[in-house]
Amino acid sequence: MWLTSKIKQVLLVIKPGTVTLPYPFEPHPVPEGYRGQPSWDHHKCIGCGGCAAHCPARTIFIRDLCQDLRVMVYDGGRCTYCGRCADVCPEKAITMTKNYELATGSKKDLCTTMELFMATCNRCGRCYEMETKNAIDRMNLKGYRYDNLEMRAVLPVCTEQFDTGMLAKSDRFKRPERIGE
Amino acid sequence: MATIQALTDQLKKKFGNAVTGVENPSATQLFIDFKKEKVREICNEVLAQGGRYLVSVGTDNLAKDGTLGLIHTFAFDKEHYFLSLRTATKESEPIESITPDIPNAGWSEREYMDLLGMKFTNHPKPKKLVTADDWPSDIYPLRKEVPFNIKPLAAENVAYQLDECPEGCSIVPFGPYHPTQHEPAHFALFVDGETIKGSDYRGFMIHRGVEKLAQTQISYNEIPFLAERICGICGSVHAASYSQAVEIAVGHKISRRAEYIRTIMLEIERVHSHLLWLGVAGHLIGFDTVFMQAWRVREPIMWLGERLTGNRKTYGMIVIGGVRRDITPELKQDILNVIGTIEKEMITIKNAIIGDTAIHRRTKDVGYVSTEDTIKWSLVGPVARARNVDIDVRRDMPYAAYDEMKFSVPVVDCNDVWGTVLVRVLETFEAISIIRQALDKMPNDGPILTPFEDAVPAGMHGITAVEAPRGEVTHYVITGEENRPERWRVRAPTYPNLQGVPMMLLNNQLADVPIIIGSIDPCFSCTERMEVVDLRNGGMKVMSQSELEALSRNKR
Ligand code: SF4
Ligand code: SF4
Repeated sequence: MWLTSKIKQVLLVIKPGTVTLPYPFEPHPVPEGYRGQPSWDHHKCIGCGGCAAHCPARTIFIRDLCQDLRVMVYDGGRCTYCGRCADVCPEKAITMTKNYELATGSKKDLCTTMELFMATCNRCGRCYEMETKNAIDRMNLKGYRYDNLEMRAVLPVCTEQFDTGMLAKSDRFKRPERIGE
Repeated sequence: MATIQALTDQLKKKFGNAVTGVENPSATQLFIDFKKEKVREICNEVLAQGGRYLVSVGTDNLAKDGTLGLIHTFAFDKEHYFLSLRTATKESEPIESITPDIPNAGWSEREYMDLLGMKFTNHPKPKKLVTADDWPSDIYPLRKEVPFNIKPLAAENVAYQLDECPEGCSIVPFGPYHPTQHEPAHFALFVDGETIKGSDYRGFMIHRGVEKLAQTQISYNEIPFLAERICGICGSVHAASYSQAVEIAVGHKISRRAEYIRTIMLEIERVHSHLLWLGVAGHLIGFDTVFMQAWRVREPIMWLGERLTGNRKTYGMIVIGGVRRDITPELKQDILNVIGTIEKEMITIKNAIIGDTAIHRRTKDVGYVSTEDTIKWSLVGPVARARNVDIDVRRDMPYAAYDEMKFSVPVVDCNDVWGTVLVRVLETFEAISIIRQALDKMPNDGPILTPFEDAVPAGMHGITAVEAPRGEVTHYVITGEENRPERWRVRAPTYPNLQGVPMMLLNNQLADVPIIIGSIDPCFSCTERMEVVDLRNGGMKVMSQSELEALSRNKR
């Protein structure tokens, strides 16, 4: 019993031979439809913010520097490569590339920044309502930790001491109107 | 036979006014509301009627009506439905523990003591389970008023108090970091010589707050991706289970084709998971040939996943309303080729290990648990099927396209670790056969995704189970406002099975601990899914914690 098992095991090992791939000395291609690093085509993007609103990892950030200039930042450090952003983009501006060799010493290498010039509405003079009601502004509310640079200053203090007063203050937090305010 | 009707009548007859409401929204769901005073009697009655305990769900309704809700859920496997017993208690009033009768409820109840501040009377072991040792005792992280990213100050010199060590035994710490454990968990083993006489478990060190995150931060359609990341091996089952729970809660129908694709993905996952486990089990008993060969055979199925879904493991396939990618005729052929090769290789592996006396010696009669105890402790999956308990939710509570699949559920009566090896090997062949049938019968038309037309109404309850490779996964969803669930409870199979480990360890040898713990295919990250915890375990220290910390901080 023992011996026959051992013989079978030897055969099991010998038959396939070496299966280890020569990677990384030779490239290892990936199949069609692979979900690698997402890439943005700024020609196609209309700045609707759909990708940022649907990203499960909340790793696409939007900031409006002024009426006409919207900055979109993709921070790959937290990306899960789920491809949800590419699914929801109405303009097919996002492609999941085949790029998977993403190890790097600097997080900046993983980030993409896109500056979009936004058209202004002829009637009201702005693209969307700037109150906390619409989806794009909700993304900037407290909670999404470092999506929001201003909130970063408030949150660590309030959570460390769990001071409800501090929380109330953050509830009333108002977006700065100008850069540097 | 306790059919839905019979059970409702029986409970109403026996408990009269204590039963305050009955809801039966669909054929698989039964919800019964009752007054909390009768909780133990009602649960006992349900057990007597043939119910199998699944999990308890604690909810925070303080803002609404000043109560904390508690839902005990049961499965009636033969009658194919889930029973959810709902009750509520005032914040300050304790509720009776059901753990003395249903030992597996122990963790659920301890969880809600930690996370919701519920109080239970007569709980046999009311110790901390989930939150860190230095977590303030008056912050209950799952309550709605507590922010999801709260970070209380760390405290020094608080340590978990281990259970009393039996007379004449010494304590051997196993973990949190141990070469044979792939994830951190601390077992304190009480040994007499080489023989284990008892153990205590302190885990939940990688508790990540998934449920809180879903309930406060992200929305319905994003949760499948989060759910998938609960487990690094059987992710799809969580995405499937969550999606089904939402679909059932609101009565959303998805296309048949999508259900078939779900079935195929779930079975592909089972094949890869069982091969992975087989390799790990070989490795744990020091038989690395099995490890290398099982993983070699497994690799093609990972690549297949990459071609089907775009990623070798986190498939991202299953979402609410269906699936994201279709299976084209070329991919269909591809799947058939890959599973054909794997089947052949699997037969070779099976023949090579099935008669190996070395494996027998390391696994037979190791981790013995009697069938009665398995049922009493509500163990699930291959761990239960290796101990002659015939449960499998694919057959008992058919979901996706399993109602049209023909397969057998391997059940053996070895009651030991060897049984779990056998069951998993046999299940792999069944999985391959299910994939073939599904590919064959899959309808060619129908959308793969049926999105919701309207907003999801709030306050609907849904519960489902999906048979993961390691046992059944149970998800309970209560829909809520703001496009996200109000409560989402995940119970991974390791949750009940890990509670059975002390029983499996009893009277075994110290050297067998890795394979016994390994035999349940533990997945600590699945089990510990709920709140961000930074646990410093001061269990058995020689140096004081501050000394240790100073030491590690100064080290460059
Ligand atoms: S791939 Fe997923 S995680 Fe990454 S940016 Fe897109 S949506 Fe976000
Ligand atoms: S969804 Fe597409 S169009 Fe909209 S902001 Fe993102 S990339 Fe641009």
